[in-house]
Amino acid sequence: MSTELRVEKVSKSFPGVNALNEVNLTLKGGSVHALLGENGAGKSTLIKIITGVYRADSGSLKTNGEEKFFESPVEATHAGIAVVHQERNLIPEFSIEENITLHNPPTRLGIVDQSERTRMAKEALQTLGFEIDLQERVKNLSVAQMQLVEIAKALVTHAKIILLDEPTASITNAETVKLFKVIKNLKDSGSAILFVSHKLEEVYEICDTVTVLRDGESILQSQPLENYKQSEVVDAMVGRHLTDRKVELREVNRNVMPVLELVDVQTALGHEKISFSLYPGEILGMYGLVGAGRSELARSVLGLHKITSGEVKLNGQVVHIKTLRDALHIHHIGYVTENRKEEGLFLTFPVRKNISITVLSRILQKLGIISFQKEDAISSKYVERLGIKVVDNNQLAGTLSGGNQQKVSVAKWLAAETNILIIDEPTVGVDVRTKASFHELIIELANTGLSIILISSDLPEMITIADRILVMRDYELVDNIHNIKDYPTISRAVMTAIHPV
Amino acid sequence: MSTVLIMRRIVSDQRVVLTTLTVGLFIYFGLKNSAFFSTDFVIYPLLRDGAVLTVIGLAQLCALSVGHLNLAVGRMAAVAALASGAAYQYWHLSLIPGLLIGLCVGGALGFVAGLIIVKSQVNAFIVTLAMDFALLGFVTFVYVTFTGATAAFITKPKGMEFWRNTSLHQYCIGGVCGPKVFPMMLVPAIVALILVGFLYAKTRLGRELLSTGSNLRAAKLSGIPVDYRVIMAHTFSGLLAALAGVMLAFTNGSFTASIGSQFMLPSFLGPVLGGTLLVGGSVQVLGTFIGTMLTLVIRQGLSVQGIGLETLNIALGLVLLTALSLGQIQKMFTTIRMRGQT
Amino acid sequence: MNFKLFFKHRATELSLTIIFVVGFALLVATSGGVLLTRQSLQGFLTYLAVPIVIGMAQMVVLAIGQMNLAVGAMGGVSAAIMAVLMADHHLPIWLALLIGFLSATAVGAINGALVVITQLNGFIITLGTMTILLGFQYRLVRTFTVDSYPKSLPDFGNKNILGFPLILVIAFVTSVLLSLFFSRTVTGRQVLATGGNHIAARLSGISNGRSVFIAHTLSGSLVGIAAIITISSLPGINRSIGGDWMLASFAAPIIGGVLMAGGTVAVFGTVVAAGVVRLVDIARAQYSLDPSIVSLTVGIVVLSTVALSEWRRRSSQRALEGKKDAK
Repeated sequence: MSTELRVEKVSKSFPGVNALNEVNLTLKGGSVHALLGENGAGKSTLIKIITGVYRADSGSLKTNGEEKFFESPVEATHAGIAVVHQERNLIPEFSIEENITLHNPPTRLGIVDQSERTRMAKEALQTLGFEIDLQERVKNLSVAQMQLVEIAKALVTHAKIILLDEPTASITNAETVKLFKVIKNLKDSGSAILFVSHKLEEVYEICDTVTVLRDGESILQSQPLENYKQSEVVDAMVGRHLTDRKVELREVNRNVMPVLELVDVQTALGHEKISFSLYPGEILGMYGLVGAGRSELARSVLGLHKITSGEVKLNGQVVHIKTLRDALHIHHIGYVTENRKEEGLFLTFPVRKNISITVLSRILQKLGIISFQKEDAISSKYVERLGIKVVDNNQLAGTLSGGNQQKVSVAKWLAAETNILIIDEPTVGVDVRTKASFHELIIELANTGLSIILISSDLPEMITIADRILVMRDYELVDNIHNIKDYPTISRAVMTAIHPV
Repeated sequence: MSTVLIMRRIVSDQRVVLTTLTVGLFIYFGLKNSAFFSTDFVIYPLLRDGAVLTVIGLAQLCALSVGHLNLAVGRMAAVAALASGAAYQYWHLSLIPGLLIGLCVGGALGFVAGLIIVKSQVNAFIVTLAMDFALLGFVTFVYVTFTGATAAFITKPKGMEFWRNTSLHQYCIGGVCGPKVFPMMLVPAIVALILVGFLYAKTRLGRELLSTGSNLRAAKLSGIPVDYRVIMAHTFSGLLAALAGVMLAFTNGSFTASIGSQFMLPSFLGPVLGGTLLVGGSVQVLGTFIGTMLTLVIRQGLSVQGIGLETLNIALGLVLLTALSLGQIQKMFTTIRMRGQT
Repeated sequence: MNFKLFFKHRATELSLTIIFVVGFALLVATSGGVLLTRQSLQGFLTYLAVPIVIGMAQMVVLAIGQMNLAVGAMGGVSAAIMAVLMADHHLPIWLALLIGFLSATAVGAINGALVVITQLNGFIITLGTMTILLGFQYRLVRTFTVDSYPKSLPDFGNKNILGFPLILVIAFVTSVLLSLFFSRTVTGRQVLATGGNHIAARLSGISNGRSVFIAHTLSGSLVGIAAIITISSLPGINRSIGGDWMLASFAAPIIGGVLMAGGTVAVFGTVVAAGVVRLVDIARAQYSLDPSIVSLTVGIVVLSTVALSEWRRRSSQRALEGKKDAK
């Protein structure tokens, strides 16, 4: 019987968001299957469900005819499924060969068989055409080398079903060529391969069939790839709908002094020749794939990373922002982080204290004492304005739902009354209704004169609310699109900028 | 309805539970053995020890507030007491200036600890552990070198007897005198409680310390200078440890190397029982006092029963582990309930 | 063997060995050879055994990124149990030692179980068990020194094998076994994997809870061995046994190159570091300095070691990030 993996009507929701909704996918032996979709469409979630990391809410999974969800990653491995996850999953202090064989180290009487281990690792790396000292510790490797070790780790299990989640994201072209050779060999030997990539040209080079996910639903289900043009696949990924929202063009006066201007900025993180201007009351979108360097650019402007050359101007004046404290209190720039749990909220604090943290200097009495009255007034104002659902201001932030937590982390920046607000991925993990209210809020804020930089990986969102869209790729700005808010035109323009054919 | 809510809030407040427990145990021990109610022999010394240990608990609490630990509280106390003792012995300073010297030394040690932690990015545990190690050597060395066989500074500044032996009974307003059980030692402890409580409850600085402990990255992104706050927290910790060290020296009547050697466990017991989180971001100042008194009542109660020191330790360890496990179970229930809601 | 790689991975151990050899030579030279007399050499080696074993007891817990504050108290109780069983209950030596060893192991297992169940850091759990154990130790030996056990035990402690004290040989054998456990056995590797990256470990089918439990239990067993060494090399057991173990247990592995963050062990480094600490002790005696000098020196050395390794880690990380940018 030939290898087959069948995902049927799988659904999964996390608190506040439906990650997957009745998704179908069929992987067949002897073919390479592309899984495509925008960031957050549900690709990684699906892979984690197949490999037993997450548990599905409903639906079924059939591996070679046997219907069963895996309870743990080990079970999936035993059933012949290997996976290269997007995150690095290596033990830094271990050698390359040990990492490669970590799933199932060769043993004799509970003792690791080192010569067998070396042989196995060598074999896996040889198929990849990758030569390196097997005893070197993983912590000393470059990101690309680690990625190759991850792939070797999947190969060594001799699995018949191999899931590759963006395996080419951080390796060089030459290494990609080698990898593709290996994938072709595996395919010829009857393996079923799932290939996730953002690079459409790669997908067309190697894949036979395709599934496209959008907002957690399978838009294209296991179709032959040759039946679709690249542009049709892009359309399936980004969707043509969103007619339910009224889209308005906003007037932004760009004949005045920009509030923020970057001239040929280069950063310690690797950004090069970044130049753009932000005008009063403008919503400037910044679009790009995960890892394109958008948040990193924002953080560099805020003084968290070093700007090595170029100029940052605020209202025409060249400034050197050294710390975030200066950015906030002297230059009036706020930053709403994308990692709200890790970086945006104080979970042990009540809502009141979360909101007032940026404005403590304004609500002080003598001797540095905080005026609780003013604190209450400010926090109540923003709780009401953002429609945050709380019992009272003293409810702990840790007990709120995802959407409300996001609102609290925005609220503190609104309270800060900054001139510029950088908002990073405002609607990841929030439901549709909250999303719409967020969009209205952002537009409303801009209408009051606040200048906003919106970092988002959600293209429909970008096209709905941004006035201009900067497209970023590999730490460089590649396009600056005037958003006429016509979905087909703009989405194509953005996609072309990201995936130059 | 709202009274029910308020009642529920009061009953579920850890401090209320702890106070009830403390008072209950106190009465229980007293009923079993009336000697326990003796003002001079039990309650007065109990409160006097409680004063010292509350201050050391507050020293630990300051480090805990930013999510750190200070394993060197005891030794910082010892070095500070050493400095004060030397000041009395060699420079014949009077009580307050000598105390101030001790406080400065303690604060400086805490500052150095904080500075090393921030600059080296090594975790607070190991930095303060190594510091404890180094200071232990230093303290013994100095006492032995300077005082030879006595290994103590025994000069008592004027007023020391008053602080160690008298009570509020000395003070009368319009014929009404203070209670006899109230040791003068409690005064500095209460001042420390008020100042630390005020710092964390009311001031911007306190809020910034707590936010640093609650979520370092979020605090940094909110424009809080987290490195300075960490250094400050350790400075406060050293300062309070110094106060506790000098208070203990006063209670003992001499300045020796053994001061602070028994501080580490109580410094954790008070805050942790009182509801201060080990991971930072939330402190219970009054709870620290109540937690400390609870442990002392257990200790004193058992020893009045004639139960030896060894059982006290066993009881205290069990209390600590139980309190921790209960806290964890409570947290688990809250998460389950929250899941139910969404 | 690739020598360059060998030096890179073993830099700490190599430099410690050099420090040890040079230090030892210096002490021999300045003492006019007194250190090389049979008696001083014997003293030096005998009192090296306990620091080595308790250093390893701490090391296995550091390997999973936690710590065991109860090392001293566990050792004290375990030794007290052995002593009391022999002196008061007249149990045969082997049985008393076995029971003492097993009780230390059991306490380690309880620590591990509590850490896994409560999900709290080992620090606070072992602080709790430490307190309880100190109570038990006092209860067992009170203020006495228990020494009325059969004479054959100290005899055993004084035995020599090929000129080495038997108890030091025990410590060495334990180290070799532990080293093999961590380098060769699947279980040992899994414990290290948990310490190195617990998410990756879980995805590779390793039970992190099991690793934590094993590490704490193993720590208990090693403390048990340290207690056996103690009781057979000291004239008697009292309540101060183990009191000065805690700091020493951290010093050896940390100087020896074990990371506080977990994921590494350095058995040889720990052994040599214990030797270096012992040299400081000898030097103190030789120059009749105050005992406090030792802890002062060791404290400063520990602090600088950790700061240095942290600095090295960060600079190598920066070098790696540089590679990414240069793509």
